[in-house]
Amino acid sequence: MSDTPTLSSTLEPLLTFLAYSLSRLESTFYKIPGSAVVTRYVKSSHQNDPGRTILELILVIFAIRTLLQSRTRGDKQGKHFIQFSEKEIDELVDEWTPESLVQPLNDWEQRDLNSVPVVTGPIGPKPKLLSNGKPVINLASFNFAGLAGNEQIKEKAIETLRKYGLGSCGPPGFYGTVDVHLDLERNIAEFLGTEASILYSQGFSTISSVIPAFCKRGDVIVADRSVNFAIQKGIQISRSTIRWYDHNDLKSLEDASFERDGEMVDLPKLIELKLKYKYRLILDESVSFGAVGRTGRGLTELYNVPAIQIDMLVGSVANGLCSSGGFCAGSSIVTEHQRINGTSFVFSASMPPLLATSASEAISHLRNTPSILAALHENIDTIRSVLDRTEGITVLGHRASPIIHFCLRNTQQHLTVAPPAPDHEAEEQILQDIVDDGLANGVLITRGKHLRGQEMTDSRPTIRIAATAALSKKDVEKTVGIVKASIARVLAKRR
Amino acid sequence: MATATSYLSAVHQADSRARRHDISPASTPALSTSSSITSSSEDTVLHESDDNNTGLTYPRTPPTSEQVFTTVHSEFGHCADESYRCVSQHNPDKPVTEHEIEEPPYYILITTYISYLMLIVFGHLRDFFGKCFAKQYFTHLMPYDGYAPLNSDFDSFYTRRLKRRMDDCFSHPVTGVAGRTILVYDRHSEDCNYTQIYPGTKTRALNISSYNYLGFAQARGGCADAVEESIKRYGVSACGSRLEGGSNELHLTAEALVARFVGMEDSLISSMGFATNSTFIPALVGKGSLVISDEFNHASIRVGVRTSGTQVRMFKHNDMQSLESLLREVISQGQPKTHRPWKKILLIVEGLYSMEGSLVNLPHIIELKKKYKFHLFVDEAHSIGALGPLGRGVCDYFDIPPQSVDVLMGTFTKSFGAAGGYIAGPKHLIDALRVRGHSGIYAEAMPPPVLTQIISSMASIMGVTPPVSSKPALTLSPSSSISTLRCAEDDVHPGMAPASAIPSWISLPPALSDGSEARMRIRRLAFNSRYLHAGLKKLGFITYGHPFSPIVPLLIYNPGKMATFARMMRTRQTPIVVVVVAYPATPLVTSRVRFCVSAAHTKDDIDTILQACDELGDILDLKHGHSERWPLEQIMKQSVELVNNI
Repeated sequence: MSDTPTLSSTLEPLLTFLAYSLSRLESTFYKIPGSAVVTRYVKSSHQNDPGRTILELILVIFAIRTLLQSRTRGDKQGKHFIQFSEKEIDELVDEWTPESLVQPLNDWEQRDLNSVPVVTGPIGPKPKLLSNGKPVINLASFNFAGLAGNEQIKEKAIETLRKYGLGSCGPPGFYGTVDVHLDLERNIAEFLGTEASILYSQGFSTISSVIPAFCKRGDVIVADRSVNFAIQKGIQISRSTIRWYDHNDLKSLEDASFERDGEMVDLPKLIELKLKYKYRLILDESVSFGAVGRTGRGLTELYNVPAIQIDMLVGSVANGLCSSGGFCAGSSIVTEHQRINGTSFVFSASMPPLLATSASEAISHLRNTPSILAALHENIDTIRSVLDRTEGITVLGHRASPIIHFCLRNTQQHLTVAPPAPDHEAEEQILQDIVDDGLANGVLITRGKHLRGQEMTDSRPTIRIAATAALSKKDVEKTVGIVKASIARVLAKRR
Repeated sequence: MATATSYLSAVHQADSRARRHDISPASTPALSTSSSITSSSEDTVLHESDDNNTGLTYPRTPPTSEQVFTTVHSEFGHCADESYRCVSQHNPDKPVTEHEIEEPPYYILITTYISYLMLIVFGHLRDFFGKCFAKQYFTHLMPYDGYAPLNSDFDSFYTRRLKRRMDDCFSHPVTGVAGRTILVYDRHSEDCNYTQIYPGTKTRALNISSYNYLGFAQARGGCADAVEESIKRYGVSACGSRLEGGSNELHLTAEALVARFVGMEDSLISSMGFATNSTFIPALVGKGSLVISDEFNHASIRVGVRTSGTQVRMFKHNDMQSLESLLREVISQGQPKTHRPWKKILLIVEGLYSMEGSLVNLPHIIELKKKYKFHLFVDEAHSIGALGPLGRGVCDYFDIPPQSVDVLMGTFTKSFGAAGGYIAGPKHLIDALRVRGHSGIYAEAMPPPVLTQIISSMASIMGVTPPVSSKPALTLSPSSSISTLRCAEDDVHPGMAPASAIPSWISLPPALSDGSEARMRIRRLAFNSRYLHAGLKKLGFITYGHPFSPIVPLLIYNPGKMATFARMMRTRQTPIVVVVVAYPATPLVTSRVRFCVSAAHTKDDIDTILQACDELGDILDLKHGHSERWPLEQIMKQSVELVNNI
């Protein structure tokens, strides 16, 4: 009993201090403008329903706890977390044997790698091979309009080199926007008839940046089942919901002129649907731009559809204009949005200026000499007509496509997209034999290669022929004749 | 003017002209005079009409008769003083400096938060009223004619309401070489940066923004000559992907040279730096593997990891304790739910971080690697060429054998004045990537002119042994002791390139082929980096980053000051273009200006920058560092001492 007064007397200074600081806190709190309203609200709500105060208090605590938690928190708090002692962890670390970083190549991959042709000297319609120094006729490279080795383009490139150096040394946002890039963007937009365009420094990385710039989680992408790999990756990064050609509830529709089998989309029909269902259209013209249509303006020219009806028209500067890089054309709102949200635009150095001027020169070349494209189209017809009459194969794709795929004819007539069959590798072997045989006879062609297992759908193995305007009709006839003979030889051996 | 000799004579003439110039201090340095370059005079080697007062086109002190400079001063500055050099090398006696962060005073943080708060509040108010009363500006953000909005207004809020206010500091169009100086187009806006008006005039400005670490962004000189020759021989394009008819002998040559340069067995080249990460990382890891990634890793790495569909965990930037405890956790826990052991763990770090300027703690990571058996991927986008006594990157800097790292990745955009990237590693790994990476089949191969720039600049950094088997003629430019010592061991990793490793038609001038010029560049870069770091610190600024890092971030904090800083630098008597970065590239409060030092800068240039920062720092109240302060004059006078004593 005698303890109590002493205790309270020792606590007294502490208590007065507490009371003082509380009143201090209170008065400061009331000095904050608007604090009276808060107090009144809390008081009255407490009066009406004391339970609610407790509930709100819990809510506030919960909110603070969530805020304090790291966003990259692992499973430490999760129910699957197992507590180990330091010693146990050390043992587990010692026991763990990881796999090697990559699995070595299997025989087929090794053969694939060894068979890659390497050119010595300039690439063009008749390059020399490094392996034997012999010239071959080139039906493998993308040189549709025959611009590779064009003297005017080379001259322009050298001129640019002497004024700008080679690299741009910076991303577009940070002094990497060179005037020649803006010129090329304007040239492409004018050439296609869109309001604006934006330049990426690699063709492949263009569409896989364009898609996530506009489509986010919760959006719907409707895409064709055999869109090219870059589009598949773009869709994957965007985390949107994907529907395969199902015209309900559309926000955004995605389509391609198909690099992988040379098929083309029925653009007028798509536009008609677009106007009806109000979706937005992304068209990948990586192959058709610079090759299809009377002057190489691509699918829009072929079908006479104004390019402004396509919201985002993606194309390749590398393939169509024999330079490097890619572009996306559309309204200026669309292109300006990508200047901040296109990942591979923002975070990558802009393309070397001399490649931009080369591409600009290539566009003016396409504009001024429509005869190049006429020659290309004639060569396409020639190739197709010979292949159509060849035994044992089926020619795929649209008749105007500059790349012509053919596959082995088999008994069941599943032509374009066959269900993944176990004998794909065997087919690839046969096709590679044809390619090798062609090469031995002086023709460079290639299999249409895929990353098997990584593509969304495993398509039929094919051989791909890329037409070019740089070869004369006679040369083309002769060359395709050689391919035809190779096919016959290899298939005969197989039987 | 194409040949080197005619160019040299032009330089000499210009030099004598400069000597005749009366180098009186600038009296009326109106901006308009320096920007009145007509387009016809641009193609001449030296711009007659450029204003000399700024020291951008002609050196302030004309060269003496025995000094011969082979570079254009506006591209690569003339600096003959051998004391302004330094060797970029780790001192093994000292511990690796951790990423230390100096905190600003509280009022700076509070005002910064208030600034953002105001921007956000007013931005939303303007959005709200704009959508009610000025619908024509918002059509792409609202449902329109049955179409869903193109972008969500929430996603684009930052861009529209915060970035647009300082759009004049970004994406400034330029022309000419992005070297020591750069020509920027003058522009102004009358409608709050919605549109920019270009009167067509240009201003030459000191360029402390481009990734031109070794100063190889040049339109003249041995490398440019080689590129011109390659365009004549090979054309402009590779016309296809690597595996489908786009492979050229130059690809093989460049890949072999890169492997030799970085000290790996083999390498592969991709036509875009960003795509090197984003298309090859998915070929390394997949289901059942784990990627451990530094929180400040570049976007390309994130895209690559996301594309691969692998699990990913992050650790605190450059924090080895955080890394180790994460490693212990993930290895002991195994895969989520199933608790099966991970197939493999890949640690991805950068050599030099582009926003922080911090250097990876490689020695510690190698130690951890031995214990925890993870695979190591080092992205040397910024460090290759820029660090190490021989410019071979972080491994060279720390004197760690490169093969103790599994995969070395880097880009050619920065130190080599080219474009694209590489991945180097053991041969079986590179072969697998060639076949399984996305780029091999689907992406265009690198064009021949770019390959030639890579080969010629890289060969000049390595030095080329003469074809005759005599002793390498690699001596004795006055202070090249370290480099010569290490180059003496032929054929071992940081050795020279044999003449057979580069195409015979590339003939580099002697200063490039014996490696002396590149060694000078590497040592100039090291000096400039250290000097700017130390100078800014002594002036009282808060900076981040490693003293040897050519990236020097100076902390500004307040968003308003950031734009003002960039504008005031640009409109100075000697215009300086700078890069300012803010959220989302950096954490919200730590807005910064990022200087990218180059070997092309002279000591005078760094002085100019320090002086500008000193003045602006006082005006904008940016000096909040706690270290000892020196007056500007003392810093400039004792620069060598300062650099050697960090």
